[in-house]
Amino acid sequence: MGKILILNGSPREPRSNSKQYAALFAKASRMDTEYRAITKTNHLELCRAAADCDQLLLVFPLYADSPPVTLLHFLRALAEHPPAEKPRVSVLINCGFLEPEQNDVAVEIIQAFCQANGYPFGSVLEIGGGEAILNTPFAFLVRRKIGKLAAAMATGRSRRLKVTMPITKKMYLGASTTYWENYGKRNGITRAQMETMEIEGR
Amino acid sequence: MNLIMSDRHLELPPADPDVTKWVDLSQMKITNCVGCFGCWTKTPGKCVIRDDAVKIYPLMAASDRVLYVTRVVYGCYDTVMKTMLERAIPVQKAFIRLLHGESHHYQRRVVPKRAVVLGYGEVSCREREIFRRLVERNASNMNFQDVRVEFGPEDGVEQAVRDEVLTWERY
Repeated sequence: MGKILILNGSPREPRSNSKQYAALFAKASRMDTEYRAITKTNHLELCRAAADCDQLLLVFPLYADSPPVTLLHFLRALAEHPPAEKPRVSVLINCGFLEPEQNDVAVEIIQAFCQANGYPFGSVLEIGGGEAILNTPFAFLVRRKIGKLAAAMATGRSRRLKVTMPITKKMYLGASTTYWENYGKRNGITRAQMETMEIEGR
Repeated sequence: MNLIMSDRHLELPPADPDVTKWVDLSQMKITNCVGCFGCWTKTPGKCVIRDDAVKIYPLMAASDRVLYVTRVVYGCYDTVMKTMLERAIPVQKAFIRLLHGESHHYQRRVVPKRAVVLGYGEVSCREREIFRRLVERNASNMNFQDVRVEFGPEDGVEQAVRDEVLTWERY
């Protein structure tokens, strides 16, 4: 049935939400999966691993409206050291914003990479509210969509999937404020301190 | 203040240093963002990685006119510019607001700016379109009030930058 190589392109891989999404995907997949994090030093190793898989799943967060530089560096290596049989590339992307559509341009960048380098493009799952959604009652929605992504990849279909928290934007603003306030509190930082207008103390 | 930020060396006419700052990212030591959120939740407004980036994002925030010069790859900033843009998140707050109906982070003291982004390299029509859309999205997160994207060949970059700065009232 083939194998999927799951590559985590998050710069904070050990503590990343992308790692959790990748684990959920591996659990949902009927195909064999192998999980690897992209680091600064393992690009060639991952290019070799890509030769042993039928599909690649790139899992990453949105950084500055586009794929993180961790992943961009790897894509450069993959373009320079392509496997003989190019795997189909799919994307599982998350952003902290409520609107999964904010990921659209990043997906197009991956598609442009695939087009330029001859990789077939597969399916996409875009997650909104991705920083926190797994810790909310809506986590089941993500698991369900990840299941659909896994099914699409297993059958070779190209699907474009999206998921976010089914709440109003106003509710989201309130919930995200509480989330970040609590994040600061754990570091001993108050909301007022987090609200500073100063940059580098000026 | 004007800011020219480039991912390569440029030979430019001498500028008034009180008016125009020029950052050659290719000469800077800037490591990539590690996504720790320290600049939002531990040392708000300051990156915990104390390399050259901490001198640059205050300039990005304080400038009312910016010219970013970058190689474009697959419709994205190449890694030199992209690394710096990712490291600039201390200019934002963790907290989220609605802007044009979309959720975006609040900005700290970031001056509204006129921006020109000059992309160079072999860039296909499709990649140009993707890059334009990327910069449009950046506009919401980088406080660009007015933004223009231009493309040109690598060997024409210096001339394109010179032509651009000649249109500025002060340089």
